[in-house]
Amino acid sequence: MAWRSRLSYIGRRHLSIIFSNPSPSNWTKVVSDAEKIVGYPTSFMSLRCLLSDELSNVAMHVRKLVGTKHPLLNTARGFVFDSRNNIQMRGLVVLLMSKAAGPSPSTSDPIHDSMISGIYPSQRNLAEITELIHTAFLVHRGIVNLKEWSNSDGPLKDMQFGNKMAVLSGDFLLANACTGLAQLNDTKVVELISSAIGDVVQGIYHESSSSAEEGSLTLASWEDQTFLSHGALLAKSCQAAMKLARHGTEAQNLAFQYGKHLTLGHKLNSDLQPFVKSESEPAVFSLDSAPVVFHRQIVGPERWRHQLKQAQNMARQIDYTKLRGLIKMERGVSQALDLCSYHGNKALEAMKCFPPSDARSALENMACAVTKF
Amino acid sequence: MAVPWSLCWRSSAGAAVVLDWCCGLSRRAFTHTASASRGTASSSALTQVLFRQGPVHNLNKPMILARHRFRCLYSTPRVCCSIHSDAKLKDPFSLAQKDLQDLYEDIKKQLLVSKAELKALCDYYFDGKGKAFRPMIVILMARACNVHSNKEGVLLPAQRSIAMISEMIHTASLVHDDVIDDSDTRRGKNTINKLWGEKKAILAGDFILSAASMALARIGNNTVVSVLSQVIEDLVRGEFMQLGSKENENERFKHYLEKTFKKTASLIANSCKAVSILVNSDPEVHEIAYQYGRNVGIAFQLVDDILDFTSCANRLGKPSAADLKLGLATGPVLFACQQFPELHAMIMRRFSTDGDVDRAWQYVLKSDGVEQTNYLAQHYCQEAIRQISRLRPSTERDALIRLTELMLRRDK
Repeated sequence: MAWRSRLSYIGRRHLSIIFSNPSPSNWTKVVSDAEKIVGYPTSFMSLRCLLSDELSNVAMHVRKLVGTKHPLLNTARGFVFDSRNNIQMRGLVVLLMSKAAGPSPSTSDPIHDSMISGIYPSQRNLAEITELIHTAFLVHRGIVNLKEWSNSDGPLKDMQFGNKMAVLSGDFLLANACTGLAQLNDTKVVELISSAIGDVVQGIYHESSSSAEEGSLTLASWEDQTFLSHGALLAKSCQAAMKLARHGTEAQNLAFQYGKHLTLGHKLNSDLQPFVKSESEPAVFSLDSAPVVFHRQIVGPERWRHQLKQAQNMARQIDYTKLRGLIKMERGVSQALDLCSYHGNKALEAMKCFPPSDARSALENMACAVTKF
Repeated sequence: MAVPWSLCWRSSAGAAVVLDWCCGLSRRAFTHTASASRGTASSSALTQVLFRQGPVHNLNKPMILARHRFRCLYSTPRVCCSIHSDAKLKDPFSLAQKDLQDLYEDIKKQLLVSKAELKALCDYYFDGKGKAFRPMIVILMARACNVHSNKEGVLLPAQRSIAMISEMIHTASLVHDDVIDDSDTRRGKNTINKLWGEKKAILAGDFILSAASMALARIGNNTVVSVLSQVIEDLVRGEFMQLGSKENENERFKHYLEKTFKKTASLIANSCKAVSILVNSDPEVHEIAYQYGRNVGIAFQLVDDILDFTSCANRLGKPSAADLKLGLATGPVLFACQQFPELHAMIMRRFSTDGDVDRAWQYVLKSDGVEQTNYLAQHYCQEAIRQISRLRPSTERDALIRLTELMLRRDK
């Protein structure tokens, strides 16, 4: 039973990772406008990868999982059936950032000629690699712990098989990212992106171990952990995009800052969604989401435990709608809103030093969009 | 065909495929072999397929002759006699020992994690109890190449890094393999997935890989980064190949050897190549290092596949017939199938019906599948020796030659 509820929670979280569009209409518009600037649509997941024997093999096998509860099914569904909504935000930001920074500062540089709509091929490859890594971890996040699986949940064999497919396809995407990185011919960039992979692992590891004692995060560790699991990859990819065009450390640092603050703002925005929706909609949220973490800090551990008990229904399960009501009575939500605009503004600030351009405006629009509800 | 061991193969078509894989013959040499042995040119399509794998070889002298010569010089004993009494054969290990003293400590230093539990998972297999087989080969190859390039006595720090990285990549792939195969034990310990669950095991593997990739990048050599990134791709592709079985016998052999290359030999071959690149710019030296590693790597895995049938459970650190239980048809089964076609159906259904594993086991023991796989492993070793002998003589080079004997005799 516990497993069942956790699984549905994971499933939901999964979907929210893939489709987390803060205030969908606004965000989607900003992003689709931005896509036009970078030359071609955001199907970065390289065709080479999707058309490979390996992934079509997985696709064939994943069909066997239909009717089971393995999370891989949802992740795969996200790519295939909803590619329209599955906005590959990270790759897009890397491309916009590349374009906003412009050509290499030393004009005699022979790499100049290779630019296509203001972006170097190596930067396009990097954008693709960033998406590959992100997707690999979407898949690896969905590995199921077999010990927690009880027979009443369905055959164990299905879960073993689903795990096998998830490990292999995640590894395949990561391996392609590795060979792609090597082809960039810049060992500093390889090191930077490899360290981002390590960051993502640490972030996700934290996620999966604290979910057992959900609600143990402090505010400081929320920021650290969100940076690792959500921000590091984009921040370091943006930085690497500057490195590939041989921009100096200052531009690299600004690009890093933009990527970092944009993702933190974006995460806060999606964490806040259940709290800004109308009261009548049923609420589901993680006890590690930002507004809850703020709230817990305000009320202290004792009152928080009391409130959790208060929000329990007859079956001793948390009634999230009720809990949301309790949380909204304090300042946790408004503090999270403040933090969201802080990060949005920090992202805007980082863009100020770049010369005005369509790409810069698009990045600014994205930074603004994460602060709107 | 003049080569005596080839008589052991019942299907000469199968043998031709295997042969080609052994030696990486040039296209001309291959056609020559095929027509000499069978008088047909029907294999040309097959040749084309085969030659897309592995690099092209530019060897001037006809290989057939070379093979004859070396067959005489280095005859290798059969499998399954204990080696522990023979002190001389331990040499390769003790020779590399000094360079590998702090290997595991250094690896642990690369695994920078703030969270204690994740750190414990990442360090778990770097407990100093592994054989460090890969780092040993890499170190010996590095020193052999250094002598060959007139740079005696110095092991470059970057070369030692490669030894470390090879062990890290190997371990990361073990951690993931254990989840894929749902294994409980490895090297006599519980697996990470048994102790901490599948989810964390996968993340630990990913982390070790990212740390290896960082260490690799820090060497600062683009070619070396490319060479070892190829390994990571090969490992996954090899694992994918293991999912499928081929209907046709020739295809099946080719598939098996290609899988073996990708899953085991690529890491050794490319690590050897990387250390040679670091000291010598001559592509021919890189090719020698690569070919030695490739042939030793395939032989190593063939012996492993034999031991799955001949070793008792506790020796190998995993239960015997483990491959059959996983549905995998390895060398001994494929050879046995030529003698007992009854195995074909079982291979195709991946030994999934009740009693398949036992029946297949019996067939393999009744056949000379084990013996033939051993001949094949010997052959790969001979080719490895032939390659490494092209380097200037050195203690390390000779240790690499002796290592092949040691490997064929290992019983665990």
